[in-house]
Amino acid sequence: MALAGTRSGGQAVLALTIALFLGVFLVVPVATVVYVAFTEKGGGGLTLVNFLDFARTDLFVRSFWNSVYVSAMTVVWASALALPLAYLTTRFEFRGAMLVQTLGFLPLVMPPFVGAVAMQLLFGRNGSVNLLLDEWFDFKIGFMEGLNGVIFLQAIHYFPFILVNLSAALRNIDRSMEEAAQNLGSHGLRLFRRIALPLALPGFIAGASLVFVKVFDDVATPLLLNVKEMLAPQAYLRITSIGIDDPMGYVISVVLIGVAVATMWASAQVLKGKDYATTQRGGGGLARRKLKPRESALAYAVVILILALVLAPHVGLLLLSFATVWSFSPLPDGYTLAHYARVLGDSSVYIKNTLLYSSLAAGIDVVIGGAIAYLVLRTKLPGRQWLDWAASTALAVPGIVLGIGYLRAFYGVKMPDGTPLAALWIVIVLAIAIRRLPYALRAAYAALQQISVSLEEAAENLGATKARTVRRIVIPLMTGGLLAGFVTSFATAAVELSAVLILVQSNSDAPLAYGLYVLMQTPAGRGAGAALGVIAVVIVAICMGLAQLAADRSQRARGLDI
Amino acid sequence: MSKPARAVGIEIAGVNLSYGSTHVLKNVELSVRPGEFFAFLGPSGCGKTTLLRLIAGFAQAQTGQVLLDGQDVAPLPPWKRDVGMVFQSYALWPHMTVAKNVAFGLEERRLPRTEIDRRVAEALDLVGLSDYAGRRPAQLSGGQQQRVAVARTIAIEPKVLLLDEPLSNLDAKMRVSVRRELRALQQRLGLTTIFVTHDQEEANTICDRIAVMDAGTIRQVGTPMELYENPANLFVASFLGSANILGDGDGISVPAGKRLVFRPQHATLSSVDGVPLRGPVTHREFLGATVRYGVRVGGSEILIETPFQSGAELRTVGDMVGVALPPERMLYLPA
Amino acid sequence: MLRLFALTLGLVLTAAAAFAQTGKVTVVTSFSKDVTDPLKKAFEKAVPGATLEVQNRNTNAGVKFLEETKANNQVDLFWASAPDAFEVLKGKKLLSPYKPKAAGIAEKVGSYPVNDKDGFYSGFAASGYGIMWNERYVKANKLPTPKEWQDLAAAPYFDHVSISAPSRSGTTHLTIETILQGEGWDKGWRTIKEISGNLRQVTDRSFGVPEAVNSGQVGYGIVIDFFAFSSQGAGFPVKFVYPSVTTLVPANVGIVANAPNKAGAEAFIEFLLSPAGQEALLEPTIRRLPVRPETYAKAPADYPNPFKDKNLQGLLTFNAVLSESRSAAVDTLYDQLITFQLEPLKAATKVLHELDAALAKKDNAQARALAKEARDLIAAMPITAAQAASPEIRAAFSGGKEKSARQAELEQQWAAFAKEKYAAAKAKADEALKLAR
Repeated sequence: MALAGTRSGGQAVLALTIALFLGVFLVVPVATVVYVAFTEKGGGGLTLVNFLDFARTDLFVRSFWNSVYVSAMTVVWASALALPLAYLTTRFEFRGAMLVQTLGFLPLVMPPFVGAVAMQLLFGRNGSVNLLLDEWFDFKIGFMEGLNGVIFLQAIHYFPFILVNLSAALRNIDRSMEEAAQNLGSHGLRLFRRIALPLALPGFIAGASLVFVKVFDDVATPLLLNVKEMLAPQAYLRITSIGIDDPMGYVISVVLIGVAVATMWASAQVLKGKDYATTQRGGGGLARRKLKPRESALAYAVVILILALVLAPHVGLLLLSFATVWSFSPLPDGYTLAHYARVLGDSSVYIKNTLLYSSLAAGIDVVIGGAIAYLVLRTKLPGRQWLDWAASTALAVPGIVLGIGYLRAFYGVKMPDGTPLAALWIVIVLAIAIRRLPYALRAAYAALQQISVSLEEAAENLGATKARTVRRIVIPLMTGGLLAGFVTSFATAAVELSAVLILVQSNSDAPLAYGLYVLMQTPAGRGAGAALGVIAVVIVAICMGLAQLAADRSQRARGLDI
Repeated sequence: MSKPARAVGIEIAGVNLSYGSTHVLKNVELSVRPGEFFAFLGPSGCGKTTLLRLIAGFAQAQTGQVLLDGQDVAPLPPWKRDVGMVFQSYALWPHMTVAKNVAFGLEERRLPRTEIDRRVAEALDLVGLSDYAGRRPAQLSGGQQQRVAVARTIAIEPKVLLLDEPLSNLDAKMRVSVRRELRALQQRLGLTTIFVTHDQEEANTICDRIAVMDAGTIRQVGTPMELYENPANLFVASFLGSANILGDGDGISVPAGKRLVFRPQHATLSSVDGVPLRGPVTHREFLGATVRYGVRVGGSEILIETPFQSGAELRTVGDMVGVALPPERMLYLPA
Repeated sequence: MLRLFALTLGLVLTAAAAFAQTGKVTVVTSFSKDVTDPLKKAFEKAVPGATLEVQNRNTNAGVKFLEETKANNQVDLFWASAPDAFEVLKGKKLLSPYKPKAAGIAEKVGSYPVNDKDGFYSGFAASGYGIMWNERYVKANKLPTPKEWQDLAAAPYFDHVSISAPSRSGTTHLTIETILQGEGWDKGWRTIKEISGNLRQVTDRSFGVPEAVNSGQVGYGIVIDFFAFSSQGAGFPVKFVYPSVTTLVPANVGIVANAPNKAGAEAFIEFLLSPAGQEALLEPTIRRLPVRPETYAKAPADYPNPFKDKNLQGLLTFNAVLSESRSAAVDTLYDQLITFQLEPLKAATKVLHELDAALAKKDNAQARALAKEARDLIAAMPITAAQAASPEIRAAFSGGKEKSARQAELEQQWAAFAKEKYAAAKAKADEALKLAR
């Protein structure tokens, strides 16, 4: 019985450590900011009257439903874009598969501000596409108008999530499921629709719910498109208003957090008992067949079209970085290298900081996300589900709330010489890490679910302690999922801005996103900002590629295939 | 379920199948008669499942032909072959009820709803699961899942039934009863059926004929009794039932290139005098109805089983005994 | 772990070393690099031994940062063009008063006093508001060239104009407040709503307006002059005009309470107000209006001069106390009546434009009467000027005991008011249009 005691003792210590981490770096800072939502301005004790006001204000109710609509439609359109690609790469011997998977990640790496500017220049009311359409055919399409513009941008941005998710779910289907259907007379699209998609659905829902929450809580994209009647922008506008101490901004933040938790809970309920991935044995995915030449041509056409669409922001960004002047015309007036020349000098500091912060943040995320996933799925500690939910709420907390909370919580803590703790760059890393933790957590969770418990039990049976089992069996098998989590955290950490803006206190601590922001405050800085954005994308893409290569190599050395 | 108008035969001729450099099926020739319950029997890795999948269309051979009712099936993809296959894992779709699973093949054939419902009910009735139509596979026991898998295949009234180790996931007691049910079902429907297994007892008890396979080749085809009484080679002899194998130098003379093979129950213990096969008793096992002795003869150890008579004297370990073997029970097989 | 500790130690020691040197002056600013870089260079040249550490943040982030770090303040100066931010900082006692020694600085620029009357912040430059437009856009859509504010209310400008919300841009707020003080509460709001009925968008940050005009997403923008000039300087095909009655808005600098380097901060303010500092403002990348009148002698001939040009003189004396008393109310009224009711407002305005065109062709007295009613409905306000400045309304925004209602309740009331009025206006206008045709 001593053994059992130490085993659950070790787990309990781990759980408490993580709870402490989340408490200190997420819950407490947010609480210090958000408690205002529960007090009446100028009044005394706790009250829920602000929430009543929320429900009675047309603007907020309208914004709430707008946000729900946009988030749901984003999932629909992102899935519509991802489905053909997932189908082609999992069902056929498709030579472009690797390219699709890599390029499919890029939309996640979109620097703030510039991405939306580039998209406006391409798809806006007077952007390239519409100017040409108007000239040739006398009509325009409102890609970027209002809520549809937000849906358009968000669908493109989050499409990689759905693609990776859907592909993984399809690959996890037991081969015999498909063969049984073929044996009974089904094949092709009909089989895909009746058998493959329903079996892939649970895995898909896990990813889709993450996208829903992320879009629901996104502040930057709607504001850049001048859409203010959505919940997250409303929160931001109210929190950042000068001179009016409005509790409603914080009330909305609480609502955002509530919706995030509710969505995660709902998707967990839907998945309960339907997690087909774990009840199947061999996986093996769908059988792949070769494409006939005509099919091949069609496939490539579809893939190229979709990739062109989702990479449009990067194309626009690239054009903008080389443009002299681009105003009310399909293409820039002229091209120049001056912008790159301008930023190359400053950018080495930004690049160094970005790489440092992002890798540290992603590393923290993977370790903590993996630990939480392990605790939730493999132990019976009471209340472990709360760790998962607490970590997931990080998605819903607006960056500015976290930034202010960190200042509030940590500025008073002083180092020996009087420098405040919050002035150290490590605090920036922690803020970024907390905000990206949910991605790594979901990836680790999905990876661990695929691993049968019997694999670990066999190790323990042969004498390995839990810790050694985790190190020698669980982690190597989870590598694929952990890598995906690392890469996603890294890619999105590299372009984090909202919390950084509050916390950065000197240029030497600033990452690329900050440098970009500063440049984008002036008309002359737009090209340079775009150049910096391109540099950011390139660097992140290279790092992601290297990470993938390194993991592939180590997996192959161990005889595992991701 | 009506009997098919005419049961169908399967011909396999000159089939060679390789995956990369691994030669999995070597020159396989086989014919299955219409209405037969036929087994592919062999150790794991012998190619029996591959051969089954070849018939179903999930594997392609480099040379040779597979004829179903006289027609070459090579140009037909799996969904057009009309051969019903029951998978080792049952492969029931978890997102569909039992009834929907069974109805699947009929829906693919675009039959009218009333017809589908009728045949689903009939199939479930045949396997005794009519009350479970609305359940999901996850709610059923292993044996029940297996029956659903069978019902799903017979609902489409296939030309041929293919069973890939259908009993290996069931416990010992279930195996016995389920295999009897399968046999009964097959007889009733008159379907040509191929049954893949590594268990010789299963093959023996329910199949009409067996093809014994080893490393991609067919070692012998015959009825269970033929294979038992007249094995064509050492492999078949030792695979079906236990066999004692003696070569030259074990105490008796054996023609070059051959081995002497006999069954434990055909030999008796006698006194050592004048008996060429002799040696000490190495061990003794009491099995209830029989007693099994191990005897070292020459360089080999052989097994002898004698019926147990209550009160009879048993030999002890170390006793020198002679082994008496009637000549008609001596088989000389190629080494 | 050890490495992290060593790193931390290293950082701490470096920070300590920097502390010891008296030359570091830390400033939180919302000005862009175009402005801060040249001024930093000039300052460091003028005051040897001093280095300017610039922390660039948007105004709101800057204010919040100062609030949160006041217990251990490391910042010397706050430097921005948002007058409301300075008022907030002053109200929260985050500024130290300082009276600049520099002589020769004007008392007033345009309508505004240069310095805070209590001495908590000082003005160092001014800028003018005007109208900026994209030539290509205007040419492609065959639109007219504006001259005056009122032009923007005319029919051809419908759905082509952009402004930033006064609640988000202190300088825009001053412009709106100037209209209200100049024309009176009711007439002022009428004008504002007429112009706003032509808006394509209301942005949430000042820079959003010139950015949209530069890309050609919008045709016209109500902007501060240096945005227009720096856009032109960057090569964008845009033009700018000061209306004949224009608003001059100030840019300020203030010393943060408990500044680590008060001497350095004072030196910086003195530099900004010195002839050298004021001349630096004339540079094309900065292009602000100096508050030292003699500086204009060094400026190019066509450079706007608030001390000489008629249209920059300002017709009224700006009442800062009045502005302050109703600041929150004006911001919220604009947002609830215009920003978040833009679609209904535009719908009604559109019909009115069509109606005017129809009436121009064929007059109809009844239709004209209905048009006037519709316009009056649009111009109606839920509260009077007196109410806007009243303690009850102010308390709603500050949380005081005298409040009549909570802020959220007021907002909902005003929003509902606007929605109802605009719908009624549109109904009347539709009716009139039918008659006129």
